[in-house]
Amino acid sequence: MSQKRFPYAWEVKVPKEMEGWEEMYPDHRLFTSDRQDWDQDQFWYTDKIHAPDPMVPLDEVFHQAWQIALSQHTTRIFCIPPAQGIAHRMLGCYLYITAIAPPPLEIIQAKAEKFGQRTFPVFGHYEELWGQWRTRQQELGRELQAVKVPKELPQFVPDFDSATTLPAIGPAQELIEAFNHAVNIIYRGWQYHFTYLNLSYLAYLMFADVARKLFPGISESAIGKMVAGADVSMFRPEEELCRLARLAHTRERVANILKADRSANAKIESLREFEDGRMWLESLSEVKDPWFMVSCGSGWFHYEGSWIDKLDVPFSYLKGYLERLDRGERIERSLSAITDARDAIIAEYRGLIKSDEDRKTFEDAYNNTRTIYRYAEDHLFWVEHWFHTIWFEKMREFGRLFVKQGVLKETDDFFMFNRLEIPSLIEDVATSWALGENIPTMKWAEKAEKRKKILAAAAQWSPPPALGVPPEVVAEPFTVMLWGVTTERVTEWLEGASGQAGSADELKGFASSAGVVEGKARVLKRLEDIVTLEQDDIMVVPNTNPAWAPIFSKIKAAVTDIGGITSHAAIVCREYGVPSVTGTGSATTAIKTGDWVKVDGDRGLVTIVKRAE
Amino acid sequence: MVCIIGFEELDKSSLPIVGGKNASLGELLRAGIRVPPGFAITTDSYREFVAAAGIGNEINRLLDEVEPDEVPSLDRTSAAIQALILEAEMPAHIAANIEQHYQALCARCHTENLPVAVRSSATAEDLPDASFAGQQDTYLWVRGLAEVLHRAQNCWASLFTARAIGYRARLNFPPDKVLISVGVQKMVNSRTSGVMFTLNPVNGDHSKVVVESSWGFGEAVVSGAVTPDRFVVDKVVREVNERVISAKAIECVYLPGDGVVHNDVPPERQAQPSLHDNELQELVTIAKRIEAHYGCPMDIEWAIDHDLPFPENVFIVQSRPETVWSQRKQDHLLGQKSSYQLLMEKALSQIQVKR
Repeated sequence: MSQKRFPYAWEVKVPKEMEGWEEMYPDHRLFTSDRQDWDQDQFWYTDKIHAPDPMVPLDEVFHQAWQIALSQHTTRIFCIPPAQGIAHRMLGCYLYITAIAPPPLEIIQAKAEKFGQRTFPVFGHYEELWGQWRTRQQELGRELQAVKVPKELPQFVPDFDSATTLPAIGPAQELIEAFNHAVNIIYRGWQYHFTYLNLSYLAYLMFADVARKLFPGISESAIGKMVAGADVSMFRPEEELCRLARLAHTRERVANILKADRSANAKIESLREFEDGRMWLESLSEVKDPWFMVSCGSGWFHYEGSWIDKLDVPFSYLKGYLERLDRGERIERSLSAITDARDAIIAEYRGLIKSDEDRKTFEDAYNNTRTIYRYAEDHLFWVEHWFHTIWFEKMREFGRLFVKQGVLKETDDFFMFNRLEIPSLIEDVATSWALGENIPTMKWAEKAEKRKKILAAAAQWSPPPALGVPPEVVAEPFTVMLWGVTTERVTEWLEGASGQAGSADELKGFASSAGVVEGKARVLKRLEDIVTLEQDDIMVVPNTNPAWAPIFSKIKAAVTDIGGITSHAAIVCREYGVPSVTGTGSATTAIKTGDWVKVDGDRGLVTIVKRAE
Repeated sequence: MVCIIGFEELDKSSLPIVGGKNASLGELLRAGIRVPPGFAITTDSYREFVAAAGIGNEINRLLDEVEPDEVPSLDRTSAAIQALILEAEMPAHIAANIEQHYQALCARCHTENLPVAVRSSATAEDLPDASFAGQQDTYLWVRGLAEVLHRAQNCWASLFTARAIGYRARLNFPPDKVLISVGVQKMVNSRTSGVMFTLNPVNGDHSKVVVESSWGFGEAVVSGAVTPDRFVVDKVVREVNERVISAKAIECVYLPGDGVVHNDVPPERQAQPSLHDNELQELVTIAKRIEAHYGCPMDIEWAIDHDLPFPENVFIVQSRPETVWSQRKQDHLLGQKSSYQLLMEKALSQIQVKR
């Protein structure tokens, strides 16, 4: 592999239509000539897991925050001995990342000592620590919700008692402070995000090693089945939806309205007209925050929306649940059945261990991993979903104000500016208002239009999957586990880059849920397409999240572009016994709706058996 | 003295009179495993045959004189003893008894001249401490009483192949302790057959069932004429961890008139999997049940019938304790370590990002 390399960043030609893309991102996040020597020494690859789409400037704030947060947790807080940070660069609107090489031996040793001191106690006290974590995160989210964004910039500030009170700071200053405060909070939330994340992944990797030594060839999905938590926050939205469906099912009029083919808003209007309907709406509003604050996508992009602001999505699930209840079917996942099945699996593997010492080691490794691994599913809800939903809504409050001020055309144009530019936008608007003259110096609306065009062009462009010289072996565990970047995958990329890609009718990915089935493919690029899904389709999607859970009982198999064996799609497919292949890289482009495909969840292979006519 | 015993009457305690293979078939039936029906011709029959023929002393004399390390001597002795056995006449009441059981088997299967497999089943064979596998004869697709009687006598003679004589002499098996029984079993019309182990014979991993399978009768696999398909299945989550589909160019089939022949497999069928997924899973279920019944790792021969519907087409034809890994002392794979030690080891594992 060392013979061949990917292009260096400065060799990559970005399409002409994307000219000016660099302006969208802070300078320090670009490949720059002064850092070229260092950049050339790294192996960069696109972050397809968290940034599969061209990066919207303000949505990039999460990445800016996590570069710092992830890195300092491995280098300076929990001190995972050889692991260093993960560096970022933007190229042509796509995010490239690299895992930095291990530090010198003496630093590894110093870190190892801290690592032992600091991490081991976490396992013994995880339950209490998790309680503290959740409280702290919830308080932070409430603080973000409470950030006051002026609804308008009035001609005069409201009347006040000038005899007894000093004047208030006024909307211009409020506006400036509000955004700075919100940015501080989002950075802080991302700091919280990583608190135990690397530890939980490390524990998983440790347990996976133990399982592989004892049971050579054991699949990742079997390991996943042993450690998966059933009772985690990420599944709560779906549970609440099931509960609301049951509540409606016993009230015929409510159920009939919810089962009708109408918009969510029209249904809500009808429900308001009678007692049972109002009672049901009351139950809905009780759980909306936090449990409907779940992204319709990954949580990483503002345009994905959340249940709470796209109520048509959860209402379409409710309709499906009610129809299933009418047929006498069960809609809930049975937590105890899942837990029992998992315990039975663990007991059977334990029984296969022949040496008492090995069995003790296995049990200890398992118990500690189970303790902390649930963090991986718990934090996801509270940060990427709940917290981001609050953030997006807060940003839209700014957007609405600027539309009102005539600076932007649409609310979401606000997301076309990065978090370091926005203070200029705010200051520009605040200055104009303070001066009493509507003379903003920059053409913000035009800029937003131009950027939307660049992003659209970027969506049509396929950036190289990696940059620079690949290592002989990709062994950095987080790279493998989180990003699915393995030696094999890098080799395939290189072959693809030189036009020797394997058969276009066969896609490789992670064997994340076992079983082999054939069926008709349904490619869903956006959540809105979900309505086209038919019973026994094979769902082909960029990625999935728990908001999609209600459809897993409908499909025969799932195929995703991105996501490893611990991805949401993989976890849910295993629970529903639906075969899945995740992380294929290109399923949504290679496969077309109507193609007859074979999904081999045992081997991680997707074959296009027959193309649609 | 009992000349013949139906498989249903046997269990592992029957080994001294029916040999390992037959006893294990009885044991499998008791465990609720689907085994092709049949009966065992006991060692008593063999003993009585030798006595009635008056060839016992001559056999012992020939065995005393053999040079266990000299191939020509082994060959001469084998030929002489086998001739004695094949030329002697079977006592009439034993033949009558076999006839009665064979006809009953034909009636049970609603087939005249039912095709059967006639197999030798030595009392020392298949024991964990003396792997005699493949040293005695098996005759497939035997039809009609005369042929059954003839092959039974061939099986008795197969106790004295040159290899078997040499093997026993080297291990100092007392000759009078080595007796032979014969199994007569309904022939499975094998579409696919093979072997499976309830552990991975490559590394001794107890969490896997390893299945090897090929088209037709198992002989093509056992003789090494084809590389079989190979499946490694996780016993717990039942995933297929390895699935190697080989090009299977030859299959053993039965052709009326020609008997069992090696046939070329048409190219389009060579690379097709010889097992369906549901059959593979059924085999794994049976393998786990057999292992649980015996309480030790097992080596199992099986066949999939061409004509019957699933799952009635899945038959076990043999099973014996696995002899290689079971006798090896189990080493620790991990040793006793705390999860903190393991976590530190994992954390310290060198992370390669440098080229």
